[in-house]
Amino acid sequence: METDSNGIVPRVRRTRRKGGLQARDQKRAAAVMLTPLVLTLFFLFVLPVVFVVVMSLTNWSLTNTTRDFVGFKNFLFVLKDGRFWKSMGNTIYFTAFKIVLDTLLALFIAVLLDQKVPFRRLFRIAHFAPVVVPITASSLIWLWFYDPGIGPFNQILTTLGLPALQWLYNEKTSLLSIIVFSVWKGLGYNVILFLAGLQSIPESYLEAARIDGASERQVFFKIKMPLLTPVTSFVIMMGLINCLKVFTEVDVMTPNHGPLESTLLLVSYIYDQSFTRGKMGRGAAASLLLFVVVFAFTLLQRAVSRKSVSYE
Amino acid sequence: MKRLALFAALLVLFAAISPVAAQTKLKVWYAISGDSGAAFKTMLDKYSAANPDVALEASYSGNYGDTATKVSAALVSNTAPDVALMAAGPLYTGERGDYFIETKINDPDFDKNDIFPGVWDYAKFDGRICAVPYGISTPVLYYNKAVLDKAGISLKNPPKTWNELFQLAKTAQAKGNVNGSSDFWGFDVTDVAWLFKTMLNQNGNSVISVKGSKISPAFADDKAVEVATFWKKLTDEKVMAVGQHANAEKKFLAGNLAFLVATSARIVKWSQDATIKVDAIPMPYFQKPSVAMGGNVLIILSSNAKNKEAAWKLVKYLASKENQTAFAMKTGYLPIRKSGLALPIAKDAVASSGMFSIAFDQLDNSWSYWHFDQMGTMDQILAQTIDTIERNTVTPKAGLDKAAADLQAEIDG
Amino acid sequence: MSEGKKAMKKPGQKPKIFTTLFLVLSSVVMIFPFVWMLLSAFKTKADVYSYPPKWIPSTFTWDNFTEVFIKIPFFRFYANSIGVAVIQTILQILVSAMGAFALTKLEFRGRKSMFSFMQSSMYVPEVVTMIPLFLLAAWAGMVDTYAGLILPGLTCAFTTILLMSFFETLPDELIDAAKIDGCGYYRVFTKVIIPNSRTALGTASLFAFLTHWRAYLWPLIITNNVNMRTLPIGLKYLVSDPTFEYQILMAASLMAIIPILIVYLLMEKEFVQSITLTGLKA
Repeated sequence: METDSNGIVPRVRRTRRKGGLQARDQKRAAAVMLTPLVLTLFFLFVLPVVFVVVMSLTNWSLTNTTRDFVGFKNFLFVLKDGRFWKSMGNTIYFTAFKIVLDTLLALFIAVLLDQKVPFRRLFRIAHFAPVVVPITASSLIWLWFYDPGIGPFNQILTTLGLPALQWLYNEKTSLLSIIVFSVWKGLGYNVILFLAGLQSIPESYLEAARIDGASERQVFFKIKMPLLTPVTSFVIMMGLINCLKVFTEVDVMTPNHGPLESTLLLVSYIYDQSFTRGKMGRGAAASLLLFVVVFAFTLLQRAVSRKSVSYE
Repeated sequence: MKRLALFAALLVLFAAISPVAAQTKLKVWYAISGDSGAAFKTMLDKYSAANPDVALEASYSGNYGDTATKVSAALVSNTAPDVALMAAGPLYTGERGDYFIETKINDPDFDKNDIFPGVWDYAKFDGRICAVPYGISTPVLYYNKAVLDKAGISLKNPPKTWNELFQLAKTAQAKGNVNGSSDFWGFDVTDVAWLFKTMLNQNGNSVISVKGSKISPAFADDKAVEVATFWKKLTDEKVMAVGQHANAEKKFLAGNLAFLVATSARIVKWSQDATIKVDAIPMPYFQKPSVAMGGNVLIILSSNAKNKEAAWKLVKYLASKENQTAFAMKTGYLPIRKSGLALPIAKDAVASSGMFSIAFDQLDNSWSYWHFDQMGTMDQILAQTIDTIERNTVTPKAGLDKAAADLQAEIDG
Repeated sequence: MSEGKKAMKKPGQKPKIFTTLFLVLSSVVMIFPFVWMLLSAFKTKADVYSYPPKWIPSTFTWDNFTEVFIKIPFFRFYANSIGVAVIQTILQILVSAMGAFALTKLEFRGRKSMFSFMQSSMYVPEVVTMIPLFLLAAWAGMVDTYAGLILPGLTCAFTTILLMSFFETLPDELIDAAKIDGCGYYRVFTKVIIPNSRTALGTASLFAFLTHWRAYLWPLIITNNVNMRTLPIGLKYLVSDPTFEYQILMAASLMAIIPILIVYLLMEKEFVQSITLTGLKA
């Protein structure tokens, strides 16, 4: 019995499986394989969402005991609320910038790290390190960095002769400052993903191309990039979903939604309604609207990326 | 013999488990951490040791916001604690129609009249007492001695009105930059809504007006606009930095701020070890002296009668003259009892730093606005409104009008 | 084969210098805050307040580290965090791998809708599901229990989709070869898919572990007893006002992340191992 390149010897079973039964076998296997996943989805997703839907139709309050059905009043309130639309605009701004920065930067760095440079392991761990720092600590550090008076960022700017910035304390720069912090924090994730993707491209393909006379550049754009499409697609889709859901890092950097509420994002709005104002019903309605927004965005993203790559 | 032995064994067993069987379990959650949390926990441990019939399960439940979330969730799922030390807010039991504490405070050994009346206001909901004030603080006006010395300002006759303070802050701003810093200011405040409410009350505005069961915001009248206009003057004339209140305390400790309004809870720390020499003066006022209360209170959330009684015993213990005053002196909160001020600990504190007497004296003028369901929202709206006024995107009158309208919409639901 | 390998060697050493330089720069940017964190962990209280702010402590002190152990049951919090995160990771990867296999390599009706359904479970932020989940957990008696810490954290959509994008790149020929040799689908899973996905599984495990390790909101709401608490909550216990006592917080954070970084270093080979599937084509 021959082994494949990984030394796996498939074991022989003495039973025979006919073609017609294959579909049923697959269905059965699929059912078994999917059951745990479906269970978690049921308890951790379906049940809570049902609860949220019901809650959105009531005037449930966190602080008192009123529980009446109010129909779509909460939805109307949220849709007419200027703050809701402001949070939507802020979130889209945040998402656009962060996705672009995250993806391009991570890809670029992953490509560099893929090469045989000295101290490769050191570089890798340096780019990964911010991911493990607890947010309590990293937010404190960056709050100090961004301090307009004594923070190092402004110290550097003024030494270079540039004007000092207000960073988190000016409505024009506050969201960008948080984006920079967020990118710093999360870059390691995407770098690892892209690295793994690059590493799993079989050397044989690259070898073949180079033997055929392709330049490194062509190898990158014509072979590596297309083969990275599933990973890139994954990174962007996850990035989208996470950006639309971002909350903690914004909350720790600007606890009161920033100057002129410029860092009020969608989940901040939901948290505000549900917990700060105690209006759980309204928060629930806003959550469902967020759900719709995220759904719409992923549909959009899927429509935009239609390429699929085979190994042929 | 055997039967006797068995009987004796059973008796012993019964005696052994009796206290355990009769033991009441009380869950206590507290929203303070660090040294304050440790001090509170120590008191709870002492109570446990002295009362074997009560088993206390104490836990830190996060900061004020997280604790409120936890308590709300727990109330809905019937896993609520018996006693909670948390910020004043609509989670008062009063909101649920539970005025248990109101009935108990007449206990003679509790001595409710010993507690400052302004402080009691802070523990009310809808006008009725439903909590026991505990970790109380008021805003205090601190100043940096070195800065004022450099600016040649003497506080022998401290400023009485805000305008007088404004002039001093302006002078300090111009001449007091001890560090030569580019980020030096004359005045700032850590909690915007807190000081604003204080100023409103000083100018004769009640913040919230109540007519029967109708609650409406009162902070959009002329007196309020006066206050807001003064506030705007502070930023317009570059005496106070715009929107930097979150950094005010750090700036002050770094020596880059002349006057700071911050919580009285800082007195203990700053009198013992700050890198700069800090002192305080009485809070200036508009028409009459007054300061708004802040801090945390004790509430009882038990559902059954036995736990309620046990919880009340614990609360009485915690709020006793000796315990509460000792807790306050260690953590920087204020004594809630007049008799507490006469205790040696308090007297020693006053002797050690003049800041304590400033804070203690202010207790006579302490005030709290009417607590109602949307009070948390009100603070948020006020802070945002002042932000827009500071940044000149609205006029004070327009800003306050909008704030009142927004709040009214929230109240009306 | 060695001639082939020689021919593979990339021409030109110049680009490497630029690459190295850039990586040095970006590494500095990434660990810049760490330097502050490391130095702050050794600072005294006086240094924390000083103006202008000091980078280098005037006196190096180990006191902050000992303070951490005095103030909080650090080891207990750490053990809880690691224990809970490890169990959650194992369970999550198991569930995700099985699901990803089914969704990529098995044919059945409703595959696409199952995927969409699972994906949509990621659209809901934690703050929204927090309260309903808590009610459910409280009703099931899971408050202040390890089950309560572990089970509600098993949201597998992310890792499932991650594994799917890697499983998709596994050639079907591998599976067909195994089936021809008589394997049923379960054996295909254990003998073909798993061994060939070390990188993907390693990556997914790492991500899952990190997510669980730093969870704050849920552990806070589901536990009351101090012995059940996890590290992120423990860090908040340390300081009543973090802006002024952060040197202790920095010391604690440092102690918390160094073991994780060491584990990452050791496991790093998993992420960079290249998978060669040339055997099939040959």
